[in-house]
Amino acid sequence: MKSYSTKRKLIQAALYTVLTAAAVYTLFPIYFLMVNSFKSQQEIVASPMALPAAWNFSYLANAAAQIHLVQSVFNTVVITVAAVALIVLVSAITAWMMVRNKTKASNALFLAFTAAMLIPFQSVMYPLVSLMEGLGLKNTFGLILMYGGFGLSMTVFMYHGFFKGVPLSLEEAAVLDGASIFQLFFQVVFPLVKPITSTVIITNAMWIWNDYLLPFLIIGNNKSKTLTLSLYYAKSLSGQYGNPWELIFPAVLICVLPILAVFVVLQKNIIEGISAGAVKG
Amino acid sequence: MEHYYRKWFKVLVIPAVILFTLVVLLPFLMGLTYSFTAWRGSYFKGSEHWWGALVGFKNYIKVFRSAKFLSALGYTLKFTLIAVIFKNITSLCMAMMVKKIGKGKGIFRTIYFFPNLLGGLAMGFVWSFIFQNVFSLILFGGESAVQIPFLCNMLQDPKKAVIAMALMSTWQTAGYMMLIYLNGLNGISEDLYEAASIDGATSWQKFKNITVPMLMPAFTVVFFLTLSGSFKMLDENLALTEGNFGTRMLSLQILLSTRENTPPNYGMAQAQAVIFFLIIAVISITQVMITKRREIEA
Repeated sequence: MKSYSTKRKLIQAALYTVLTAAAVYTLFPIYFLMVNSFKSQQEIVASPMALPAAWNFSYLANAAAQIHLVQSVFNTVVITVAAVALIVLVSAITAWMMVRNKTKASNALFLAFTAAMLIPFQSVMYPLVSLMEGLGLKNTFGLILMYGGFGLSMTVFMYHGFFKGVPLSLEEAAVLDGASIFQLFFQVVFPLVKPITSTVIITNAMWIWNDYLLPFLIIGNNKSKTLTLSLYYAKSLSGQYGNPWELIFPAVLICVLPILAVFVVLQKNIIEGISAGAVKG
Repeated sequence: MEHYYRKWFKVLVIPAVILFTLVVLLPFLMGLTYSFTAWRGSYFKGSEHWWGALVGFKNYIKVFRSAKFLSALGYTLKFTLIAVIFKNITSLCMAMMVKKIGKGKGIFRTIYFFPNLLGGLAMGFVWSFIFQNVFSLILFGGESAVQIPFLCNMLQDPKKAVIAMALMSTWQTAGYMMLIYLNGLNGISEDLYEAASIDGATSWQKFKNITVPMLMPAFTVVFFLTLSGSFKMLDENLALTEGNFGTRMLSLQILLSTRENTPPNYGMAQAQAVIFFLIIAVISITQVMITKRREIEA
């Protein structure tokens, strides 16, 4: 019995060693990003792995100016929040109605949404941009609508899977008590699907916050740029003579910091939300 | 109640139907049509309307004769194959290890998942420096004691770059895939393993006959996500190599295609976009059908 438990301990030690090594590898680029955001170009190239000789914040300040920090963050927050709210509300209501009303029309609609998950954005982007331009929607508002439409398929699918497991009895009781359809949805139904709502918020917010292609096509290089787009232009416009790392690293750090902050605060919910979504998938 | 829901259904699904039509359905149908025309982006060549500018399969024939498109297609398929293998092996191994340990599961899950939240473009810039400077000059080249030429100057050679992109992409997504696998593993009853142990099954037999079949629903999801994600990858391709040195993938090819001809040939770009959709649809449907069938058997 003793040898068995020694073997067990050895296995555990080996597992922890491998997992810790993988964790270090995972975090290495983040460490790397942080230390190099405080160095000059020469110092970055000469000693990229070391801590900075002095914690010089001037590079961060310069990068913040180059990517129009306040304006870009504001734009990105507005777009992300509005688009996610739109996706969540529209998808939840639609999926709920589809589950509760089992007709041919409802099934056909669900099938269309599910099939659309196979359409990659790149295969509709040119006609989409042309259509939006024709409608006068080649702007921030149009961008929000586009995210709304593109987020819909996957999100409806996820809610649909979840609503199937929500019993009808509560809703019946609420209707008998005289609740209106909106009271019914917001006060009875919506709270019941909270776990999947947090998954939906995280996956969509993650994608929209970091997206490069759609803002690039719709907004381009002007005042409504998002954070990722500003970073792209800051790099591509200053990079004619080799890469200006003393600008790129702090600029990337600025783009990553808000996500890092949100993750540190909400990590439990995020991991649980993603896991909850994974079961239904 | 049935009547009640039926009445509201028609009203409440309208926003979704409008959004879907405007953003997905209409552009999709337009794209399909325009790929058969001489579309120039803001106008149709030789006509006011698309039906006056029909060119049959001309755009498609041009696409299949385009060296750039064929190279991008081959490179994308190669990358997808390698990336899917990397991502699945890494995430499954990590999930099985995390499942086995005692304390600290939560910390590992959190750390591994984190890169998923970061942007491919932003972190791609960081990784390009890691590949160019840290790998090439410090760790595996220069005056390092460990000399591995394959890991040096990875971004200037298509064979090495495909591995570099797969490494970065695995770093980003493996944590997410691990969560899905871990969920699947947690759903397998310990009784099955105990019964197999009593019958004298080896670890490999247990893995092959219990873990794999029971994990099939997770395989369906992870394969779908990694396959389509790798096939569609754009940001990492752009940030790491900008598609230079023969490393251009299809997403980038479609994006750059309209910038490389004057006047820009949107009809031809759209034909590439339609082919792109068809390939991804066929691959995904085939994969889901195969893994789903195994789920039922299990």
